[in-house]
Amino acid sequence: MTTTAKMTENGAQLFARLEGRRSLRDIEPHIFPDGAGPIQGDVVEFHGTEGSGKTETMYHLVTHCILPADRGGLEVEVMYVDTDYHFDMLRLVTVLEQRLGEDAKGEDSGAAVEPEERVRACLGRLFVVHCSSSVQLLLTLHYLENTFCSRPTLCLLVIDSISAFYWVDRSGGGESVAKQEANLRKCSELLDRLLRDYRIVVFATTHAIMRNYGHSAQADLAAMTPGPSEPSSSSSSWRQWPSSHASNFDKAYLSRAWQRLVTHRVLFSKGEVTKDRKQVFSAACTTTSTRGTKCSSFCVMEGGVQFL
Amino acid sequence: MVVLRDGMCPGLSEELVVALRAADITTGTWVLINLFTLVNLASRCGNALLAIRRVLLAQHTAFPVSGADLYEDLLSSTAILSTGNPSLDKLLDSGLYTGELTELAGGPGSGKTQVCFGVAVNISYQLKQSVIYVDSTGGLSASRLLQMLQAKSCNIEEQMEALQRIQVFPVFDIFSLLGCLHHFRCVGLQQASAGGGSVKAVIVDSVSAVISPILGGKQNEGMSMMTQVAGLLKTIAKDFNVAVLVTNTVTRDGNGQLKAGLGQTWSHVPRIRILLQRLERPGSTCSSVRTATLAKSSRQPCHLKEEFDLQCWGRSEEQLYGMSGKRKHTEPS
Repeated sequence: MTTTAKMTENGAQLFARLEGRRSLRDIEPHIFPDGAGPIQGDVVEFHGTEGSGKTETMYHLVTHCILPADRGGLEVEVMYVDTDYHFDMLRLVTVLEQRLGEDAKGEDSGAAVEPEERVRACLGRLFVVHCSSSVQLLLTLHYLENTFCSRPTLCLLVIDSISAFYWVDRSGGGESVAKQEANLRKCSELLDRLLRDYRIVVFATTHAIMRNYGHSAQADLAAMTPGPSEPSSSSSSWRQWPSSHASNFDKAYLSRAWQRLVTHRVLFSKGEVTKDRKQVFSAACTTTSTRGTKCSSFCVMEGGVQFL
Repeated sequence: MVVLRDGMCPGLSEELVVALRAADITTGTWVLINLFTLVNLASRCGNALLAIRRVLLAQHTAFPVSGADLYEDLLSSTAILSTGNPSLDKLLDSGLYTGELTELAGGPGSGKTQVCFGVAVNISYQLKQSVIYVDSTGGLSASRLLQMLQAKSCNIEEQMEALQRIQVFPVFDIFSLLGCLHHFRCVGLQQASAGGGSVKAVIVDSVSAVISPILGGKQNEGMSMMTQVAGLLKTIAKDFNVAVLVTNTVTRDGNGQLKAGLGQTWSHVPRIRILLQRLERPGSTCSSVRTATLAKSSRQPCHLKEEFDLQCWGRSEEQLYGMSGKRKHTEPS
């Protein structure tokens, strides 16, 4: 597509495209293993049940991306694809204001720029798209290709969530599994091409809706002997992740085309409530490039996620 | 799927449609994705295919909005609707927010329908806005609504006006619920409600009564229809800027804790969830006091608990304050 369609870019865009977009490797050292943060072309999947902190962590990471460099942010643009009207702009702005407020305390009080202006400047780096069906998601990703081409600072594509159309697609595809997964497979192929051509990073959330029966025994086996395991009846359609922290709800149910794309997988779960009535959440990250799992815990406060 | 038809866009003539169909291309998405592998066709009608692509993208994609514009829109259009009960308002961070879906979960007799009545009466009488009430259990009682209104005002005309602003749609199965919601989405809420005034809330009591019968077994259509209902409710909330309130049953999870019914897939749908329970007070039967626990919220810490009296909507202001004064005296010190 890029070679045959006539797309013109100026020198700065060409340079940015060849040099590559900003790396997000150090975006959050608490969650990702050392030196294995997401680089260009990586796909990070946030997986967890309802209320386990996925969306809060997403807001935390998005805020870090859109904050200006003098406030400790990466100052890159983010494209947020919202598939189930889940995106809460008011909550994101609360987190953003808290981050801007606490960083400004260290500065002198003679700041020339109003806090509201700062918030608007940060929000100018965020683009939000709503999709209501998997076909619309596919067509929108096609349309966004032009946006990625023309904006070299657009480094991050967030899809919240990519499993929203799972049941509708499954019932619409009838008896044939290939038809059921067709839309998600096409989306995954398109994302693969976007990742290769434009070197962006994709964060996607998936809801944990499938219970994992009889998984814990296999998980222990997989953790001890990393490598291709024998496919069994309950897990023949997903890749074996070395997950020694397998929870009840971490079965991968999306199509294989999507699972092949994923390079980092973060499993969220709810922990217990501490003595001062704070709910603790935990995130366990596994990647294709490292062994083992990096675990971290956090609470959700007024100003967003706080790691413990 | 977008099926290609003659006249859909300039350049898409009948011959081209026939030619594409001969190559087994009937839908627009196929055209988009495989555009430049259609070597034979592209040489004959490359311009037409590009035109089709442009039109399809313009009509069927969603366009990105800048975060700053979205925030401005939200600030100017979001309204907070009080429920009429100060304890519930405290849990909800001053009331029901428009553009969001709030869920009330509770067992039988825990007061969900009474809370829905109270919210409807408050919005139609205090705030003078219309309410759409989708009743799927047959539990709507107009005489109870009138009783609540009579406690607030003695003027019969005002009571009748407030009752007219509550528009009731009875649905008793999933298909009529889907039909009703599609109707709202297509014609808009103003035309659907005949009461006059702008619609500010849509109450669905209860959503589990029509969805639980279709779940289970080895079929997937039930889950798919549940996801469609969720999508429609959220689209209505966002596009028409209304507050959507739904009620749900409860089940117990592995640890014996109460959680909302309808399973894992539905649990992701509401933005705010409140669990209603009866209060276990020794020596008092048929009490109208309930506890509300905040189970899911994006604005407040969870597990906040408040107690409230279901009769607060049916009492006038003096009775409420007189009642609370009396309660202070009788509480053990």
